[in-house]
Amino acid sequence: MDKPEITRLQAERWRREVRDPSVQQAPERQARFVNDAGDAVEPVYTPADLDAGGFDYESHLGFPGEFPYTRGIDPAMYRREVPIVSAYAGFGDPRDSNQRYRELIGLGVQGLSVALDLPTQLGFDPDDIMACGEVGRMGVTVSTLRDLEILFDGIPLDSLRSVGSTANAIGPIVLAMFIALGEKQGLDRRQFTVALQNDVLKEYVARGTQIFPPKPALRFTVDALEWCVHNAPHWIPLTVCSNHIDVAGAGSTAATAFTLANARCYLDDALRRGLKIDQVAPLIRLFLNEREDFFLAVANYRVTRRIWARLLREQYGARDPRSLQIRIMGYAHGPRETAQEPLNNIVRITMGALTCFFGGLQDMRCASYDEAVNLPSDEAVKVAIRTQQILAHEFGITSTVDPLGGAYYVEALANRMERKIAEIMQVVDQLGGALGAMERGYVQKTITAGASRRQQAFERRERISVGLNVFPVKAETRQQTFRIDADVERRQVERLQQVKQERNQDQISATLAEVAASARDGRNVMPALLDAVKAYATVGEICGILKSVYGEYEPDRSF
Amino acid sequence: MVTVAKEQKVRVLIAKVGLDGHDVGAKIVALGLRDAGMEVIYTGLRRTPEQVVRAAIEEDVDVIGVSILSGAHLAHLSKIRRLLDEQGAADIRLVAGGVIPPEDLPALEQAGVSRVFVSGTHVSEIADYIARIRE
Repeated sequence: MDKPEITRLQAERWRREVRDPSVQQAPERQARFVNDAGDAVEPVYTPADLDAGGFDYESHLGFPGEFPYTRGIDPAMYRREVPIVSAYAGFGDPRDSNQRYRELIGLGVQGLSVALDLPTQLGFDPDDIMACGEVGRMGVTVSTLRDLEILFDGIPLDSLRSVGSTANAIGPIVLAMFIALGEKQGLDRRQFTVALQNDVLKEYVARGTQIFPPKPALRFTVDALEWCVHNAPHWIPLTVCSNHIDVAGAGSTAATAFTLANARCYLDDALRRGLKIDQVAPLIRLFLNEREDFFLAVANYRVTRRIWARLLREQYGARDPRSLQIRIMGYAHGPRETAQEPLNNIVRITMGALTCFFGGLQDMRCASYDEAVNLPSDEAVKVAIRTQQILAHEFGITSTVDPLGGAYYVEALANRMERKIAEIMQVVDQLGGALGAMERGYVQKTITAGASRRQQAFERRERISVGLNVFPVKAETRQQTFRIDADVERRQVERLQQVKQERNQDQISATLAEVAASARDGRNVMPALLDAVKAYATVGEICGILKSVYGEYEPDRSF
Repeated sequence: MVTVAKEQKVRVLIAKVGLDGHDVGAKIVALGLRDAGMEVIYTGLRRTPEQVVRAAIEEDVDVIGVSILSGAHLAHLSKIRRLLDEQGAADIRLVAGGVIPPEDLPALEQAGVSRVFVSGTHVSEIADYIARIRE
């Protein structure tokens, strides 16, 4: 009898002779332990659980910096460099945000992602009727290059590890603005890094800032990717996100599967344009998420690197290690940050941040404890940054690579997740890939069903929020929430009018016409966009002219 | 008119106004109310107050439930209430849910919002409230 077989028999004996009789005498806290993926959690995990899944150290884990990269994409990982401290920030008008950015940099922030207000993300200028009441609320307004210039006034783009934005439907426009801003700051493109979200596909199912119908939007997104392949190959023009799909209700396993399917959709579009896989893949990163379960989160990050490496090598024939080493970013949150007793969220966010460290991420940011209530206050933003710094430099978490690698529970979760992700990706393939699965409502139905399950679990108190559905406290003292100056909208409209007066109207008409012509002829729109933003065309004007070519998204009324 | 209406199912319009695109909460509530036996219509994302009021009148609903997370709740809800009253639909009740700071509740009540459900509210609580709304 070999060693694994002995362990399996011993585990069965323990269960039968020790554990079951004990639980019969004094029952466990719950009849069943189930994680957010809907899977039963066993009382204990042993080598037998790994053997059952055909676990093999060399092929499943390997070594840091080596295929399949489960243990990390770099041989030295955090012994060389701890995860980049990034911040997602922006509010009010660009001057307010510029001030906040300077403070963040003073606290040690290395990467800045511009939080854009909803009108900007949706292609409405501040003077548009649709923007009314929303200007500067959920982020900062960037309607022209002038706004971005003010936003980064006194902040050279090369002083940060990366700059970027969560722009999605308008991703290529914001990319053009950063290119133009770099030129205005006198920088060579090789001196700084732009990292964009620009992941429009998930907007249709989970985040909701789509402007155009999916097919032209996909083309628009990949235009940015293609432009960077040729002009800025060290930038990250695309961050494919599972975060929003998971939080919307899909759960991390399905969300990762949909995210990988979306990534394939972008890659396939790039390849159809004649690009080579090793030109494109190194420019993409993933933004993964799992907030409900600590160990599932660690498993998700680690196993997705393995799935990616195999997918790219086996199905795309990638050879360049950079194509196989997927970089991952994370946003540390708790399962649910609560508006009730907001300081408790610091603990939740810390635990979320710890999953990022154990997951071997390259770039991360921590949420602010008051986000459930309002835009983050100065104090909350500072605590978020300090949280990441404390985890990076105190406790010894970063002294060795992949400290949870080989944990029976984590690896068993990873193996199961890998199988389920493969199954879901196969269904998506059968439905015609990411676009087909979306058109048929498969992704949306998975999300809504999952969201309902989570809500029911919450109401049955199987999904616990301390201070909310258990141990609730009736009366509480609320703290001051951070408010946007009501005057922001007026100031933004005034600045926009001033920019419009100063710019050359003929140049605007000509560059916008060229944007439309490029889009109509199926040429890459980036060169035309760059000319338009340099002439100070507005995001609203550019989106307006693109709508005339691409059409507009029709809202989905199903639920 | 009231007696006839009592025989029928409660009709609810779930509306997403403003620009925020997070409609999971709205859909969960829509599903929950439908499961509770109500007629539920969902507007889809990014409707204007005008579009919401038009849909509510056309669909002859009893209640409009507005889901809003973007922070522009006061402006949008006040406008919907005003448009309803102006267009002879003062009997349509208006409720709201989403990310709404508690200190805004008095102003919303003042603006004619019957009830605000803050995050963490059970769907069953919303269903119970709306089921009794015509009593």
